[in-house]
Amino acid sequence: MSTTRDDESEAGVGPSSRPTSGSPAGELQIVSSEDPPPSQINDALVLGLSIVAAVSGIVFGVAITLDAPMLLYGSALAIGLFALGYAVRRYFTDRFPLVEAVEPRLRFTDPDIEDDDAAPTSIPAIQPVPRRPFLQWALLGSAGAFLLGLLAPISTLGPRPRAGQIRQTAWREGTRVVNTEGRPIRPDDIAAGGVAYVWPEGAVGNEKSSVVLLSLGRPALEPTILDWVVEDRLVAYSKVCTHAGCPVALYRQQDEALFCPCHQSTFDTVRGAVPTFGPAARALPQLPLGVDRDGYLVALGDFEELVGPAYG
Amino acid sequence: MTPLFALLFDSIDDRLRLRGAADKAVNKVFPHHWSFLLGEVALVSLGILVLTGTYLTFFYRGSSELVTYNGSLELYNGRMLPAAYESVMRLSYDVPGGLLFRRLHRGASHLFIAATVLHMLRILFTGAFRTPREFNYLIGIVLFTLALAEGFIGYSLPYDSLAGTGLRIAYSTALAVPLVGPQVAYWVFGGEFPTGDVIPRFYVLHVMLLPALLLGITGVHLFFLVRQRHTQFPRRGIDGHNFILGKPLWPAQFAETVTLSLWMFGLLAVAATVVPWSDVALSGPYVPGEVGNNAQPDWFMFWLDGMLRMLPAFEIDLPGVTISALFVAGLVLPGLVFGALIIYPWLEKRWYRLDGDWHVLQNPLDIPLRAGFGLGTFLAVLLMSAAATSDQLSRITGIPIETVLWFFRITTLFLPPLLGFALARWSRRRLDRRDLEVARRESTESQELHGVVAERV
Ligand code: FES
Repeated sequence: MSTTRDDESEAGVGPSSRPTSGSPAGELQIVSSEDPPPSQINDALVLGLSIVAAVSGIVFGVAITLDAPMLLYGSALAIGLFALGYAVRRYFTDRFPLVEAVEPRLRFTDPDIEDDDAAPTSIPAIQPVPRRPFLQWALLGSAGAFLLGLLAPISTLGPRPRAGQIRQTAWREGTRVVNTEGRPIRPDDIAAGGVAYVWPEGAVGNEKSSVVLLSLGRPALEPTILDWVVEDRLVAYSKVCTHAGCPVALYRQQDEALFCPCHQSTFDTVRGAVPTFGPAARALPQLPLGVDRDGYLVALGDFEELVGPAYG
Repeated sequence: MTPLFALLFDSIDDRLRLRGAADKAVNKVFPHHWSFLLGEVALVSLGILVLTGTYLTFFYRGSSELVTYNGSLELYNGRMLPAAYESVMRLSYDVPGGLLFRRLHRGASHLFIAATVLHMLRILFTGAFRTPREFNYLIGIVLFTLALAEGFIGYSLPYDSLAGTGLRIAYSTALAVPLVGPQVAYWVFGGEFPTGDVIPRFYVLHVMLLPALLLGITGVHLFFLVRQRHTQFPRRGIDGHNFILGKPLWPAQFAETVTLSLWMFGLLAVAATVVPWSDVALSGPYVPGEVGNNAQPDWFMFWLDGMLRMLPAFEIDLPGVTISALFVAGLVLPGLVFGALIIYPWLEKRWYRLDGDWHVLQNPLDIPLRAGFGLGTFLAVLLMSAAATSDQLSRITGIPIETVLWFFRITTLFLPPLLGFALARWSRRRLDRRDLEVARRESTESQELHGVVAERV
């Protein structure tokens, strides 16, 4: 092999002549390869460090989730990273031969030299010494546990859902029904066959609490809850579609149906807003509606059915 | 490899036929020297920045509109704060781990720029920029510039009082450009400072445009490296211009890189846990017209800040334009430093009349021009940076600030050229002495050894 010369070429002098023999550029030639001796200490070290790293990762995750002091999770992170790094280092020195290799250089400013990088190599990647496969699994498992711990900050991205929070709206017993400007509404304000989009007082714009108030052209039928129908004609339904939560914004007067523009679910307002067409499976919840002493429309309580789409 | 993985690999390779190329790639030889890790440290820091930065974007609000802060920090509870600052406070004091991640991000940014600078010095002093690597050297300078911009904008985003002050100075510097200044400043800032557009715009620059450029151009930088191979330090017994000696990428270099990444991250974690940096709670939100004492940028901007402090006051009114000290100090002089760095490879090539490929690294003392130029430039930037601490120095030492400033003015003006020239002379003498010695030994190889470099200077 012509890779070594006896003279010194270290002072940065001009490029010397091309090697006359040898393999093409980009082709690896192994100069020395030394198999590491088997070592019990090394095995114990890799195993121990893997355990330390895995435990640190889990401590980091738990500490973040429980909002423990930064000193705890910060140190756990650091210790885990150091341990994992050292484990990787020990693992590789133990499992792979120590290889030194030379590679002939491409000549860039010499137009006569053809491109050798495209040619496939005949030297495959360096293979590990076959021994102790469990160390590999210890290391991979440790890295996995550590990474899992690092995912813990996901738990801080949003608050925990409170029990019943999703079922609750802003409607309470005695909450007045108001229009978008916040003005309370009397039964007379809604003409026969009329429809209004209304809110609970003090929560205008609260999406989950939006309501369609309508005046029916004929008597309400089952399963409409008749106690909640004011003056035998005014009913109020949740405006949030029970399919996927779109506002059920279109009222078709000829068949007295509420129609959802998103996936065409249709609700029969005379019969308790049960779905008559489309993908919605549940009726629009009916708001307990009444009139207070001053003659304004009020809620008699929150919805009794789940407002909006089902949840898991 | 387990049968399952083997099956997966085989079926992928049946569809891509990359095994030959992949084997070649993992056989790439890496020469061994600690200074070769500097670039790698920069690369790993960039990775850590992307990871921690992504986390920060989940909480940060890129707006300077005033909102009410309701959080656990007594100092600001119930007060109106710019939304950006408010979100940083909330992240730092109400989200478990938030402060740690902010500090990790800041720490990694310092490490990124520091490693980039040291990597650049290594390339410059050892001559790794010579043919065929001049273009990759230029790409490196582009990356360095992007890193500085990214660092400056990142420093601005919390919109604390220091950040706002820095933005104001940047705005003023843009305004100072002759003829086009006001228009350019309005384009960048969306109108007269401070506008509501600054923070949203700089946020998008910081998390989208600049990182995309940084990562993309880093890819090109690495492609050049892989294709051209590493340079290497001279080693007895190896003809470094025709061969590379080292460890293959797999497994030795791979193991080293993984270890390096994990340990670097570990060091950052220690620092972030212990050192209370980047805690902008005390500097307060940016309020136009207010500034604290010791208004100072990040260290990598010191050299620009130092220039602003040192240049004597002047404003030259010409018909239609005003040339101000701010423009000269903030843009012209830094432009000259960058210009010098950019042309240096071609300067050296001309000076020593070099051609051909150069793959073996050098002792800078063997190249007098480079020794002198490198030392001069480095010293100038160092003194400019030191001048950015003039007020603190004056306070600590009791020397009046005027004296401190004059000291820096004189040293910055004279020391770099003087010492640079002296070093070049001394290096030249050193080569001559060695030539004499060699001549005495009458070795024929000596001609080859020093011929090229000793001719000039
Ligand atoms: S959301 Fe109303 S039909 Fe799908």
